[in-house]
Amino acid sequence: MDPLLTFIVILVGFYGLATSNNIIKSVFCITIIESGIILLFLNLGNFEGGTIPIIGEDVVAIVDPLPQALMITTIVIGSTVTALALMLCIKLFHHYGSIEWSKIFGKGDAS
Amino acid sequence: MANIALLLIFLPVLTAIVIYVLQPRRSHEIALVMQAVLTVFAVVYALHFQADFSETLIVIGGWEERIGISLLNDRLSLPFVFMSLFLWWMVLIYTYDEHDSSPTFLFFLLFLQGVFMGVLQTNDLFNLFVFLELMTIIVTVLIAFRKIGSSIRAGIYYLLINTAGVLAFLIGVILLYYSFGTLNIAAIGGEMAGHGDYRVIQLSFVLMMTGATVKAALFPLFSWLPKAHGAAPSPISALLSGIIVKAGIYMFIRLNDMFAPAGIEYETFFLIVGLATGFVGAVFAVLQTNIKELLAYSTLAQLGIILVGLVVMDGYSGGLLHVLNHALFKALLFLGAGLIVVVYRTKELAKIRGVAKSMPVTTVMMFIGMLSIAGAPLTNGYVSKSFITGALEGEPLLYYAVFLINVGSVAGFVKLSAIFFGEKKLSYPFSHIHKVLPLVLIAGACMAFGLFHVPLAETLLDVDLAHVSRFTLGGLLEFLVMVAFGALFVRFVLSRGFRTLARVGKFRLAFETANYLLVIYLAVLGVYFVLL
Repeated sequence: MDPLLTFIVILVGFYGLATSNNIIKSVFCITIIESGIILLFLNLGNFEGGTIPIIGEDVVAIVDPLPQALMITTIVIGSTVTALALMLCIKLFHHYGSIEWSKIFGKGDAS
Repeated sequence: MANIALLLIFLPVLTAIVIYVLQPRRSHEIALVMQAVLTVFAVVYALHFQADFSETLIVIGGWEERIGISLLNDRLSLPFVFMSLFLWWMVLIYTYDEHDSSPTFLFFLLFLQGVFMGVLQTNDLFNLFVFLELMTIIVTVLIAFRKIGSSIRAGIYYLLINTAGVLAFLIGVILLYYSFGTLNIAAIGGEMAGHGDYRVIQLSFVLMMTGATVKAALFPLFSWLPKAHGAAPSPISALLSGIIVKAGIYMFIRLNDMFAPAGIEYETFFLIVGLATGFVGAVFAVLQTNIKELLAYSTLAQLGIILVGLVVMDGYSGGLLHVLNHALFKALLFLGAGLIVVVYRTKELAKIRGVAKSMPVTTVMMFIGMLSIAGAPLTNGYVSKSFITGALEGEPLLYYAVFLINVGSVAGFVKLSAIFFGEKKLSYPFSHIHKVLPLVLIAGACMAFGLFHVPLAETLLDVDLAHVSRFTLGGLLEFLVMVAFGALFVRFVLSRGFRTLARVGKFRLAFETANYLLVIYLAVLGVYFVLL
């Protein structure tokens, strides 16, 4: 897969962030950007014919193990952010009866 | 000895976990003892390494330096470490014996301190990303801590836009990893000069600077700051405005240091960004009707001046000095405003009158803070502002731009000062020594930085301030002129109550628009730094 394709995934995420009025969609756009980044990083570390980076017998051409280790961390952080954001969405729905940015910030004081 | 750097990160985190899991009865005392131990360790650490900071490097897990996570302290990170220790002290004292200060609150507060120490000390780009994201998550929880509608919506706004910015930063980190094969900041900086992939380096500069801009709330990506600061509990607002926003500034300095050998000409662009931030902050601060939002927008105005000071002066000295001074007086103002809000039970400026009669000590301390932020002689604000404007002598245009930003922020505080006058209307019984003590201590620090600026700046920042005097007649005149301008503006323009002005003051960026601006900012930076 071409790394440029992953850039398209990332751009789709940013496009969604800039256009969607729905908070759940905004949260998912963050997830999409994150997936794009993970794909990009794993892609750049991979090469044709590389094996998994576990040291053993007759292992010659392993892929770079660092991106995989780092991306696991990114996935963990991403899931935390998603969980927290969705929890806040539920609370917001209880308070405002809506999960749309325009309705939530339209009510009450301007802050 | 070098392992104290690890302790600075993990001691607060471990204490936080112990407090949360065991929920001991005297949890706040435990936190205070931990803070004392932490301070002692930090002082011992700084004294031990003050001669040679290269020995502070530790690589975790005994890996090779290029591969492992490493921590490093230097002349840049240690002032930030001490300033954050001081502010956390103040917030811990302030929240003592308050119903807010449940074990959950303490858990997040102490955890945030450990994470912030990590941001300051790390020497690894991916580790920096992890700490930044952790910081975003914890700050979100603290903003939404009171679980009322306005604080939750401010929290989710903060969380999503900051995550978007930090993810942009992460893309930059990945690109750098593929050019250099390492994530070590010092190693990348060392190999930067004459590296082949110049385009990739420029692109990652653009992406990482976008992350720093969101974190530092610079123009045009500042829209989360007033919402978050207005909605958070007051001690958290003080921390946010005093030190958390400075994490973005710190990133800005660190990244510029790293990219410096590549020879990217960033000065002009970020000078414009700084001036724009300052103007927007000053204009909106005057137009606010809510005490905490007025303070939040004045943070923006000061951030603009900080950025100008960083970009214009050698070794970032003026900006760094103003970062520390701003941390002091803005924390003071937010904590004082928190007391006023508690006593008067409203944040509306128009409904608060007669604070001087009902809360005399708070009033005196708030006045010291306001004089400092306005740059009155004999205060710390005067020292750093005249240090910055002194460097702008040759460029009258810049000088007057900074002067205008100052006039705007002074006008905001002239408007704020109306709450102190008038008759005492209502007074709830209020006598908590631990609420007033932090105000007195921070005000004392403000005065100390104003009166003994030369030795303090020498020890903390290694900057020679001998040519900046703490009091000049010209400075006093300039200050009085600014106050006069501000008073005239408030008296003859604001008090008329123009509809348009009120509508401009109420203007807020929607979340989608803020993200749209993020993408546009990224594109503008890309065109400016990569294509041109």
